[in-house]
Amino acid sequence: MAQVYWNDVSEGQELPALDEEMSSQRLVVWAAASGDFYQIHFDDDFAKGNNLPDIIVHGALKGMLVGRLIDEWIGDEGRIVQWGVSYRGMDPARQNIRVWGKVTKKYEQGGEGLVDLEVGCAQPNGTETTPGTATVMLPKR
Amino acid sequence: MVTELPDLTDEMKAAVGTSGPATTYEVTTLGIRTFARAVGYGNAIYFDEDEAKKKGHPALVAPPGYLGMPVFNPLRQQARGPRATFETPFKRNLNGGTEVEPVAPVYAGDVLEAVTTLSNLALTKGRMGQMLIQTSETVYTRQSDGKIVAKTRGTGISY
Repeated sequence: MAQVYWNDVSEGQELPALDEEMSSQRLVVWAAASGDFYQIHFDDDFAKGNNLPDIIVHGALKGMLVGRLIDEWIGDEGRIVQWGVSYRGMDPARQNIRVWGKVTKKYEQGGEGLVDLEVGCAQPNGTETTPGTATVMLPKR
Repeated sequence: MVTELPDLTDEMKAAVGTSGPATTYEVTTLGIRTFARAVGYGNAIYFDEDEAKKKGHPALVAPPGYLGMPVFNPLRQQARGPRATFETPFKRNLNGGTEVEPVAPVYAGDVLEAVTTLSNLALTKGRMGQMLIQTSETVYTRQSDGKIVAKTRGTGISY
């Protein structure tokens, strides 16, 4: 993907969103990657026994998907200053998650071009479950 | 129904500001690839060492937020973090949120020491009754050069 420059970004601009399939297989790969082996994420009977409609997506996976959205947007020359999300709602597995971001502020600090973002994860019906914010440095032309 | 606490207990107040013992995290090529695969990365620097080197990196690059895995050893007793030093009537826990502040690049082969400090405890009322909100910060330092590579902040909700 072409490098994004600070000069070309405008407030209100949307980042290219990710539409991610949350299959049971993917949650198992995440369990291995993260070491989070809590059964509500991969064992149907266990999840139902905990009054859940289905196995649910790990919160941390959603947080890291937001990290990927930002990493792919800022390119090789950008840098993540920080990002964070709140886990406000559960996402059942076996449906897609839309990972999105939007530029809320563009400014300079210490000569660097910085951008604040609003980020989140949404269910197919539009329910937002994982709102957050981020700050990134983008190179200048 | 859990008995409500009128205030934080003395034990809880004493735990705020304390840090747990250092935990060792290993960043391996296998760990990086598994993480990058689960998150769905397509960037070769997270999978292919030669591609990472072509871009000026010394080894396979850890994607943002990947800080390795704690060393698992069933023969050694698990270290207890600062959150484990007080009694709480709340039995259930939720992950409330995560913040990541990457400070320096992390590479395959790095060994990190993570120290978690309990930043704050607060009692609030929510839909599920009284809740204990725990915020903590973990600082990750690379063993080989003593550099801080990342800080993460977490919110835990007990109810």
